[in-house]
Amino acid sequence: MRIPDYQTLELRRKNLRLAWGLAGLALFFLVTSFPFWTGIFRIVGTQAVQ
Amino acid sequence: MSTTTLTHDEAHHHEAPKGWRRWLFSTNHKDIGTLYLLFALVMLFLGGASAMLIRLELFQPGIQLLDPDLYNNLVTNHALIMIFGGVMPAAAGLANWMIPMMIGAPDMALPRLNNLSFWILPAAATMLILSFVIPFFPGGGTQINTGWTIYPPLSLQVGMSMDFLIFAIHLLGISSVLASINIIVTLLNMRAPGMTLMKMPMFCWTWLVTAFLLILVIPVLAGGVTMLLFDRHFGTSFFDAAGGGDPVLFQHLFWFFGHPEVYILLLPSIGVLAHVIPAFARKPLFGYKSMVGAMLAVATIGMVVWAHHQYTVGMSLGAVTYFMIGTILISIPVGLMVFNFIATIWRGAMTFETPMLFAVGIVLMFTFGGLSGVMLAVVPADMQYHDSMFVVAHFHYVLMPGAVFGLFAGVFYWLPKWTGHMYDEKLGKLFFWTNVIGFNITFFPQHFLGLAGMPRRIVDYNMMFTEFNVVSSIGAMIFGLSHLLLLYIVIKTIRGGKKAESRAWEGAKGLEWELDSPPAFHTWTVAPQIK
Repeated sequence: MRIPDYQTLELRRKNLRLAWGLAGLALFFLVTSFPFWTGIFRIVGTQAVQ
Repeated sequence: MSTTTLTHDEAHHHEAPKGWRRWLFSTNHKDIGTLYLLFALVMLFLGGASAMLIRLELFQPGIQLLDPDLYNNLVTNHALIMIFGGVMPAAAGLANWMIPMMIGAPDMALPRLNNLSFWILPAAATMLILSFVIPFFPGGGTQINTGWTIYPPLSLQVGMSMDFLIFAIHLLGISSVLASINIIVTLLNMRAPGMTLMKMPMFCWTWLVTAFLLILVIPVLAGGVTMLLFDRHFGTSFFDAAGGGDPVLFQHLFWFFGHPEVYILLLPSIGVLAHVIPAFARKPLFGYKSMVGAMLAVATIGMVVWAHHQYTVGMSLGAVTYFMIGTILISIPVGLMVFNFIATIWRGAMTFETPMLFAVGIVLMFTFGGLSGVMLAVVPADMQYHDSMFVVAHFHYVLMPGAVFGLFAGVFYWLPKWTGHMYDEKLGKLFFWTNVIGFNITFFPQHFLGLAGMPRRIVDYNMMFTEFNVVSSIGAMIFGLSHLLLLYIVIKTIRGGKKAESRAWEGAKGLEWELDSPPAFHTWTVAPQIK
């Protein structure tokens, strides 16, 4: 991929690393908005009682 | 920030490309900023037209122009167009134009992503408009009569237009998240050498916080509407009580996004104020560090008080008490910001050009909207005000002065920088006064209507509400039409006018004012040194 002429390769990599990290954060919030974790809590709670 | 050195010096020799390719393939932050602002302007007029139709219908009791479903379709359409099509893209336009120039960066960190973030928007807007018009075609199904909150079970019963709306929300969300990632990376990695975070202009700080909020809450809305789509078409029962689901879950997911969204709309405008008020009071901003702290507090608390929008849904006493106290707590950092602005104005050598008029108007009217917000935060009181016109009055007093007037202040403040011409000050002031007077005539009476018991989202009303509705509708016509003057001023300023100096305003400070007006196609190709 062509690097924009005002960015060094090092800066370009740093930018992309941070961008992917933020995209991962967004993905985490997207996935956890599905209420599967309520079931996990219920299973963990049931097992703890047993 | 030593990594911001250039790899070659020819960048500043590049000329702007010509023709449609300049805009379609643009990776230039200024061009993309212009595209965002033009898009927002078009959507402002579309959303405004639907608002004027709503107010025309409410001019008298009875049904005049719109059947009940079309009325609620317009209510839905107005809110979504204004929020996602008007205010958010306009704020993104300001960010694109100003952030690189303010931090001494040659462009955004991820310019191609910037292009993609914008060009998703017209596709999303098309889907959004289709969701409004599809029911008018044979087989188009029922209209979206849910309001912008698209609560199930009603949203599970609406026709195919709801699917268009869900996809529009997905596209708008992707655009916002991509733009937010770009803004955060730019602010954290592309600042000029010597510009520490605590030396960063306040507009950049507000956008840093806004972008984080967007990344945290937009995916939750996307998750919510995806589940809605699954419930509608794929046999799941996330929100369908008949299948063991819970419609209240959707309300929680929606408002987990919806309440921080208020701060997403407000914060960029607060950032604009933090530049406009010091420039026209000719004093530095009072309490920079406390402003940053207050903003972080607003964002943090704002993330965990969403359910004050759903007191009437039947939550436990403990839950509503928590959400009430949390909501009222937000008024402390917001109040601190307002007091900082007042302290900046205090004993300043003030002049009242159009951006400053808007700024002072915001401080007064946004505070008013905040006060009615405190009233709504109190659970027993909210049980009375809920879903009444009082709520409509409240959030318009928060969002028009708090978000839109801030954007107007920013446009008038930076228009000389963007175009190289000073706008017509007399027309600017005329626009301010007609706009502000029209706004207050429209929305102030709605407080009384709500307190007297007029519900919102209902096309007809009792005879006893007629007088205030007539006043409100007349105000809405003045308010709506006043925006034609804004359009005229912007076009006139782009076409010509008195030449703007680099520092267009005597009291303006910041790196952006060291560049020519208009700035070159590529700026800060050599990073400035910040002391």
